[in-house]
Amino acid sequence: MYPISGGTMKKFIILALTVFLFYGCTLDNKHKNITLVTNSWIGYSPLFYANEKGDLKKLGIKLIVSGSLGEASDIYSVGKADMVSGTQHEYFWLKETTKDIYPFMLLDKSYGGDMILSNKNIRELKNSKKIYAYLEVNSVNNEILHYFLKKFSIKMNKITFINKNQIKIQELRANPQKPVIIATYNPYDIVLKKHGFKVLASTRDSSGLVVVDGLFAKIKILKSDKKIVLELKKVLDSSIDAIRKNPKKSYKLISGYLENISYKDFLNSLKKIKWINKPPKKLLSKLKKMGYSERYIIR
Amino acid sequence: MKTLSIKLFTIFVMIILFMSEGTMFYSFYLKSKENISDLLIDSIETNILNIKFFLKDHLEKNNIDNIATYLNTSSALSKTILAINLLDNSNKLLYSTDKSRYKKKSTVKCIRISEIQNKDIFKQKCYSVSVGTYSGLKRYSYNVNIYINHVYISSLLSDQIKKYSIYFILFFTVLMFLLWYILRYTIVSPLEKLRQFAYYSTKMPGKLLIRELESIRYSLDLTFDRMKKEQDELYKLSTQDSLSGLANRLSLLEKINWLISKGDRSKSEFAIIFLDLDNFKNINDSLGHEFGDEVLKIISSELLDIVRENDVVSRFGGDEFVVVLPDIEDETRVLNVAQRIKERLSVPIEHEHYKYSVTASIGITIYPRDGKDATTLLKNADMAMYRAKELGKNNYHFFTEELNRILQEKMHIQKMMEDGLEKHHFKLFYQPKVDIKTGKITGCEALIRLIDPKEGLIPPDKFIHIAEANNFIIPIGKWVIKEAISQIKIWSNTKLKDLKISINVSGIQFLDPSFIKDLESELLGVDPSKLDIELTESVLMSKYDEKLETIKKIKKLGLSLSLDDFGTGYSSLSYLKNIPFDTIKIDKSFMDDLESKKSKRFIAMIVSIVKDLNLEVVAEGVETKDQLEYLRKINCDVYQGYFCSKPVKAQEFEKLFV
Repeated sequence: MYPISGGTMKKFIILALTVFLFYGCTLDNKHKNITLVTNSWIGYSPLFYANEKGDLKKLGIKLIVSGSLGEASDIYSVGKADMVSGTQHEYFWLKETTKDIYPFMLLDKSYGGDMILSNKNIRELKNSKKIYAYLEVNSVNNEILHYFLKKFSIKMNKITFINKNQIKIQELRANPQKPVIIATYNPYDIVLKKHGFKVLASTRDSSGLVVVDGLFAKIKILKSDKKIVLELKKVLDSSIDAIRKNPKKSYKLISGYLENISYKDFLNSLKKIKWINKPPKKLLSKLKKMGYSERYIIR
Repeated sequence: MKTLSIKLFTIFVMIILFMSEGTMFYSFYLKSKENISDLLIDSIETNILNIKFFLKDHLEKNNIDNIATYLNTSSALSKTILAINLLDNSNKLLYSTDKSRYKKKSTVKCIRISEIQNKDIFKQKCYSVSVGTYSGLKRYSYNVNIYINHVYISSLLSDQIKKYSIYFILFFTVLMFLLWYILRYTIVSPLEKLRQFAYYSTKMPGKLLIRELESIRYSLDLTFDRMKKEQDELYKLSTQDSLSGLANRLSLLEKINWLISKGDRSKSEFAIIFLDLDNFKNINDSLGHEFGDEVLKIISSELLDIVRENDVVSRFGGDEFVVVLPDIEDETRVLNVAQRIKERLSVPIEHEHYKYSVTASIGITIYPRDGKDATTLLKNADMAMYRAKELGKNNYHFFTEELNRILQEKMHIQKMMEDGLEKHHFKLFYQPKVDIKTGKITGCEALIRLIDPKEGLIPPDKFIHIAEANNFIIPIGKWVIKEAISQIKIWSNTKLKDLKISINVSGIQFLDPSFIKDLESELLGVDPSKLDIELTESVLMSKYDEKLETIKKIKKLGLSLSLDDFGTGYSSLSYLKNIPFDTIKIDKSFMDDLESKKSKRFIAMIVSIVKDLNLEVVAEGVETKDQLEYLRKINCDVYQGYFCSKPVKAQEFEKLFV
């Protein structure tokens, strides 16, 4: 039997306390997943890319893809998600209802990605007595449609507004007897075009209409998980670079998120947006004027 | 610093552990509560989201039945939801899953579901969510209030409290037992062992687990070892004489007192030999104190050499020594020791080319007869020593005059016996044994006599018992055997060739392992039937079986055996039955008392029994004709006594035979 000294006993006690404290710290620091809810918009491709690459998982971010940005907003509003993607429309709506939403990253600016489709041309529409307008009312579709009607002086009183999400809308088929206008966005336009609808206007040719997509989060996340947010920005910047440099490889990874569009459509879709993950000051000041909070936006 | 008992220290440790464990379990509980809270929040959020999506779809279609069914089902299936109220934009109740109580519920304050994370799920009773529907571009808003089943949620929490309380108590109990066991095994028990070791300093505990305690144990062991050595050294200094290394006066007194106590209990005796060197002053004066010291050392060594291990030799002071002999059974041993001391000191001491003869005067006292305490015993021994000095020094003297006389005489006789054996002062005298019928001498008894040149004839009753006491009877006995057999040989070629010589053998001789062997070797060339061994009953009293074996060996050699002095001891007939005697000799006392009828009857009875046993019977001590006539009358075989002849020398005996 070897005698144990007071020193050894002291070491043993310190070790036991360290283990105890470490265990305590482990208990306290068990990290919760951050949930990010989005939809299938082409501008959110970096999110899909990062998710497939496993970068989001590494950051402890769980990605949920909902049917529309409206649904995504609902999920965020009940607290089921900590981050949400959306346009300025969702931002303002959520700001009004939840009070707790802050943009922290800009992703893309629509450059033809949001559009008005119809089975009639402008003239035919102007002459139509009744027009059915399909849109997600509680989305940027609303602003785009109004901008279009105003721009082409189409009277509001002959429009019948029908509120549907894009998944339902893309089931529509062009019926010559029924004048229809659809406010939609990529990639849902691809199927609609195949169903006989044509583009009448888009954000590419409407310089007065700015549609930007960004990521928003609760203030608690931005403050307590600042490091993760910064890392997410870096990951998404890298993903954007990867999509730019190697679209084919990216396509293979993320096509499932984009309603299984073809590679050609994927390339066309990418042409309909502009990446603004590193936004110019001019854009930021423009957004600020619109009421966009730029306090937490990471450039 | 204030000291703390282990008990109090343990209580402090237990309190600290209790608090630590309490904190730990409380944090476990909080974590568990948080997990439950998360699950509940998740469940509520999911339910609300599903309700919101469902209502969004169905409110636009005004599908009221479906809405009612869905809300009822959702409320019924979810354990967390107590009731769901659907209200319009102006908070007017449109539908409730619990109509009977909705009014009461309407008083409960609902918070928006988005705030759920910031509120205590276990206290909040209601959550609301707004649902917007569109008719064209017009938005219609509704509110849904979800009432939480607070009883169910509280029960989840109380279950956790119960569970953690039980775990806490169990864990704490086990921890306390463990702590108690560890403390007891590693600290309390070793400390108790150390305490006992420190107190009794006998049983050293084994190696201890805790290093500091082990150091204490080791240090205690070293200290006790050192103390023991120092104690031994001090004891030695206090009990030993520094010059001689013998016990000093203090130690001597202790020993004497101890022996007195022991003697009182066990009735044992001990002797004190007080020794004073004669004219020692002369040595110091003539050869110096250094030489004197050396002489004292040599004498000390000699004294130690003389005595037994448990005897005490002490230097009493100056040239005085005291020897204590415990457990003495008779004074002979004391006498022997005194004599040995005297003899050993008579050898001149040689030191640094000087030879010096030392003599000592010795005084002897014996406890308890010469004193009841140490002082008296020593004082009387001192007086006895001075008496020895008065009588001419180089002598010993007992304190009791009578004892002194007896012992001196004993020593004198002993000396005479030793000289007698060496210088042939012992002689065998022969007394005839006469056949009563024929009147012829058939044998004789050889009787030893000591004839000292100065003292003259010393009868056997003066020296035999002394010889038996110090085993000198063995060499004497050997001499008797040798002398008697030698006489047989001498007579073998004469008219006395048929005579049988009887010799007396002592019980001590019987126990001598070389007795038979010596007898055998002496008998070579001699008819063994010519030698008869006479034994008294007293010889057979002790160690009977051992002696019976010797008797059988004697018979095997062809010697005859006589039982001497029959009728004086136990006269046990069992001896006659078990021992192969050839002759029975009736004791002389019966002859002396032959005038009485009783004595006559006894002799007649003995003769009759012996005859019946086919043994020869010899009557001893026959001195008159009447005695002889009576013996003849009762058919006694042989007589021995002064009527025929007293014991005479061989030459005279031969004349008798003629």
